[in-house]
Amino acid sequence: MREAEAAMIMTEPISGKAGDALKRTPQGVQPEPAPIEEAELVKRARKGDLAAYDQLVQRYQERIYATVYHMTSNHEDANDLAQEAFIKGFQALKSFKGGSSFYTWVYRIAVNKTINFLKQRKNRSQMSLNDLDFNAEHDPDLIALISDKTPRREAGLAELQDKLNEGMQKLSEPHRLVVTLHDVQGLSHEEIAKIMGCNIGTVRSRLFYARQQLQGFLADYLK
Amino acid sequence: MNPDSENFDSLRQLLSLKRHEIPPPGYFDRFSREVTARIKAGERGGEIGASYSWLRRLLGMFDVKPIFAGAFGTAVCAFIVSGIISSEQSPVMGGAVSAVSGNPSVAAIPVSMTSPGLDQQFSTTSNSVAGSLFDHFPLQTEPASQQVLFSGGN
Repeated sequence: MREAEAAMIMTEPISGKAGDALKRTPQGVQPEPAPIEEAELVKRARKGDLAAYDQLVQRYQERIYATVYHMTSNHEDANDLAQEAFIKGFQALKSFKGGSSFYTWVYRIAVNKTINFLKQRKNRSQMSLNDLDFNAEHDPDLIALISDKTPRREAGLAELQDKLNEGMQKLSEPHRLVVTLHDVQGLSHEEIAKIMGCNIGTVRSRLFYARQQLQGFLADYLK
Repeated sequence: MNPDSENFDSLRQLLSLKRHEIPPPGYFDRFSREVTARIKAGERGGEIGASYSWLRRLLGMFDVKPIFAGAFGTAVCAFIVSGIISSEQSPVMGGAVSAVSGNPSVAAIPVSMTSPGLDQQFSTTSNSVAGSLFDHFPLQTEPASQQVLFSGGN
């Protein structure tokens, strides 16, 4: 079943419309590039212009890295996989038809690589977590979470981070992907359905199941 | 079954913590350069890039946890110090070192084979060096004084 789901993810890239929607995610910190400019960069990169490809990498590196990192909970693995995704993207650029945005296309490569990698490393789940940024301590949601209403109020952010990532790693890859895309990266059900090649009902049920699993695992840390 | 209608608010708050996990400072400044370098290495047909992947991972680990860099540096220093100590304690060199350290003035001795007469003069020093590397070499603590005769002139 899991192989079939992975195979579905590895099918055709999502449409250009979905790709446009992807660009509007909260994770998109970088300014949105003009489509023509991106097309021009892709065109130049297809001719072997590494400088043009470098610009494309710089545009999407943060989002690609973040997706892979949240799936693996390991910085080194995420670094390798994100780099390999961009390298493969360059090598396969000639097969890129332009039916979707370049970002969507590379994103699919990164997701496929990550899922294949996670299957191989099944028995190895060593985490290598990134540090939390300064704003974490001032995030209202997190302040509320570690307030006196929290049963485990002695828990610091670092402990919560460890436990949360531990819980994420207990989920199956498709369930982790849904939680990552929806609850961490802020994509809609429709967008996730197009990315994963399944219907919205499946996305919803996976999200529900994944949240239930996580809630059970993290019960001591939730209100 | 609408997952959003269920009471997952606390969980979603907790999941927002993941948005605050950021890679080491400067990571994205290097990222595209590394990708470009790996593409170039691949184009050169070399597996060179792949063979150094362990090095990249090691350096990447230093980026994530600077404590690893400190631990690695400490380990290297410890290795060097232990190497120095063990070399000082080795049986071959030990005699020579102890012999030399017994007489500080000998520490800066030039080894000379040109004045056989000095062998007797410094025989005590030579005899004390049992089995040392310098057994076959006469030791000289100071340059042999030679009488200089000036003929003619003032």
